[in-house]
Amino acid sequence: MVMNEQKHGDIDIVALSGRFVMADAPEVRERLKALIDDGQGKLVIDMDQVSFIDSSACAVLISAFKAMQLKPGRLVLVTSPVVQALIELTRLHTIFEILPARPAALEAFGAP
Amino acid sequence: MLAAANVADSVTLKIASTAQQVSLLSEALHALCLYATGNEKCALDVQCATVEALNNVVIHAYHNQPGHEITVCWYRQDRQLRIEIIDNGDSMAALPEPVLPDFEAEGGRGWWIINASVDSYFYKIIEGVERERVLFPGENHESVATAKPNAHRNILTLLKQF
Repeated sequence: MVMNEQKHGDIDIVALSGRFVMADAPEVRERLKALIDDGQGKLVIDMDQVSFIDSSACAVLISAFKAMQLKPGRLVLVTSPVVQALIELTRLHTIFEILPARPAALEAFGAP
Repeated sequence: MLAAANVADSVTLKIASTAQQVSLLSEALHALCLYATGNEKCALDVQCATVEALNNVVIHAYHNQPGHEITVCWYRQDRQLRIEIIDNGDSMAALPEPVLPDFEAEGGRGWWIINASVDSYFYKIIEGVERERVLFPGENHESVATAKPNAHRNILTLLKQF
């Protein structure tokens, strides 16, 4: 898996690509925690290029969601079809804010 | 990862009990299922179930200790795929109920995913017993007979129609 961090104004963007599974979970969890702790409470996790995801990755997303709630801040996910399918299977789509593409996610934060 | 093709419609893969090897094997299994069935949904479902099952073996059967072996046997028969995941770690006392935990819980979704991704599954524990019988000249019965637990195997079998 490849993890790429970017900034768009005060919005933190983490773009993930490839497989997001148990082997990657500790590293992603740690980076997201650091970004949430140090950021402005606006985070986009862009998984548009993620080809496979497992329940360990879902656990990382839940952890980030809970940390952002405590901050408080807002977390928006961008999903690929495979990621969306697992999120729906585990009913997490009822909790997460999910948008179809990065421009829509940035727009949700009021970014130009 | 070691691979061996036994017969035309079966493949055996062996990995060490690490998360990296689980990912590698499940990707290989996805390619194999896609090749065998031509059905992307079926291949993805099998991969989803297998990854969760293998994660469980790494975490619960082997307690995240990397030096153990996991064997995955893949079979295609008629229009069914059968995947056997074999380990020698701690056995499950019972198969967990495939229910979703509360949203706040970070774990506990694996069996839900397995249950939703394959048609059926079952778990077998094969107990190994070492039996010792000692025979002496002139005696027509065993003087010593002992039995002690030996290596055992846990086999989780996943079945998927295509």
